[in-house]
Amino acid sequence: MRNKALLGLRGQGEASTAWMWQIAPTVMLLLFFFILPLAGVVRTSFYPGTRSFGAEGFSFEQYLKVILDPFYRSVLIDTIVDGLIVSMVCLVIGFPVGYSLARLPPKQRRWRLILVILPLTLSLVVIVFGWIVILGRGGLVNQLLVSIGAIDRPIRLPYNRTAVLLILVQQFLPYMILSVMSVCSKIDPVLEHAAANLRANRFTTFRRVIVPLAAPGIVSGMILVFILTVSAFVTPRLVGGGNVQMLGSIIYEQVIVALNWPLGGALAMVLLIVTSIVISLANLLAAKKFARHRSSANAK
Amino acid sequence: MQNDITDKVMATLGVFVRATVYVMLILPAVIVVIASLTQGDSLSFPPKGFSTQWYSNAFASTPFMSALWTSTKLAVTATVIVLSVGSAAAFAIARYRFIGSSLFQSIALSPLIVPVVVLGLGLLQFLSWMGFSQSYLGLFVGHLIIMLPYVVRTMVTGLLLLDRTLEQAAMNLRAPPFRVFCRITLPLLVPSLITAGVFAFVTSFGNVTLSSFLASSGTVTLPVQIFTYVEYSYDPIVAAVSTIVIAVTAVVILVIERAVGVDKLF
Repeated sequence: MRNKALLGLRGQGEASTAWMWQIAPTVMLLLFFFILPLAGVVRTSFYPGTRSFGAEGFSFEQYLKVILDPFYRSVLIDTIVDGLIVSMVCLVIGFPVGYSLARLPPKQRRWRLILVILPLTLSLVVIVFGWIVILGRGGLVNQLLVSIGAIDRPIRLPYNRTAVLLILVQQFLPYMILSVMSVCSKIDPVLEHAAANLRANRFTTFRRVIVPLAAPGIVSGMILVFILTVSAFVTPRLVGGGNVQMLGSIIYEQVIVALNWPLGGALAMVLLIVTSIVISLANLLAAKKFARHRSSANAK
Repeated sequence: MQNDITDKVMATLGVFVRATVYVMLILPAVIVVIASLTQGDSLSFPPKGFSTQWYSNAFASTPFMSALWTSTKLAVTATVIVLSVGSAAAFAIARYRFIGSSLFQSIALSPLIVPVVVLGLGLLQFLSWMGFSQSYLGLFVGHLIIMLPYVVRTMVTGLLLLDRTLEQAAMNLRAPPFRVFCRITLPLLVPSLITAGVFAFVTSFGNVTLSSFLASSGTVTLPVQIFTYVEYSYDPIVAAVSTIVIAVTAVVILVIERAVGVDKLF
């Protein structure tokens, strides 16, 4: 009987403790290598001084530094703004793609979907390297500009914030596209035909029917892109060099290069708090704004 | 009339945006592959001449090849472990009602939304407190944590969609539980297992963000090796090595397309 339960074959309603054995390995894994390490970051962020090993005591020193130092404060604000910009751009250019993927017949969808999944699964560092080749001194963009006579000799293109944001958009776009696609494929096309019959043009249909119904996918896509952007550090380091500082890259620097874990921990906690606030705000706004729309759309 | 104009503008804009997005998505990978075939000593586009010399250089380079071996070994072993651990958890979530079930599920999925720099610092510090710093273990468990959400999500969905009457029929025919599991449940779960395994594999194989926190001199993965190399210099050898990574990723995606169909993933 126990065998049967362990293999998950019991009927419903039969009491069993098999689930305990089934979740035990995952619980141990998450407890020791996820929850305790995160709790450790909370503790470290309250150490005074700059020692990473054998630190003792309790103080708010690191947090005060993050909040009062103009450098950290401006990096924090810039990073949040970057996160908002990248998630907005991803939404604007990702939505048409996700929507069209949801409406395409399976055969045409397959290859387009592979184009979306490849950059999603490809190592980030390879993508960034590809962009360095595109934007670099001997790269595609420079060659094009020289050949059309816009510039005389190759200029140094990367190493600025615009380039970093462009590359982040490309990296995280697949998350947005897939998120939009999965909600749009659940919207019944009949609703759009009904709107068209009522003489709504495409824009009205889009605004009044599709957006409210796709809101959950839009919100979860934007949240994901925001989190990925504010914790990015590979792209700012490789493309921005020392010129573009983002929260992720200064945390990486404090932890790996400067070996100042207490400060790194406080910065990491600030990042965690910011992302949690943004997630709850986004969910709240979406719930408020679209609950009304949805109920009126349903009523109609 | 006004409707017509708005519709036309939106349709044209849509075509334009979609074309741009697809080109933009695939561009970096294509450029890397083309640039790796250059004859010259510096990265340029279009490449100067055609040669495969940078591939011979890449295959002869000890740091890159040992990193490729580390990455492959890590991705394969971690995939096997996470598939068994995560599938067992998915069984419990999908088939039993227990207190804290939904809490357990959301914690198992949360590594997706915790910023990776936070997890990186946490694991690095915790392992050094436990006396395991600079070891393969850190990299291994770190990867298990970030692979887990994909496996749990895919397997829970797969199990909920599985038609349980087939199992009940087998049991009614007096098949012993182990036999039912091996002959009915497992074969029906194969597509989900392939999907989960492939996603776990590419997540580990390509990861640079968490690995760069946990890798030490003896355990450098390929993406970390590329990262540190590109930080100081770049020459066509990186393009050749990156092409190897692209090839592995593309092969893996085609496997999933053949076996399950990318259409059924989302």
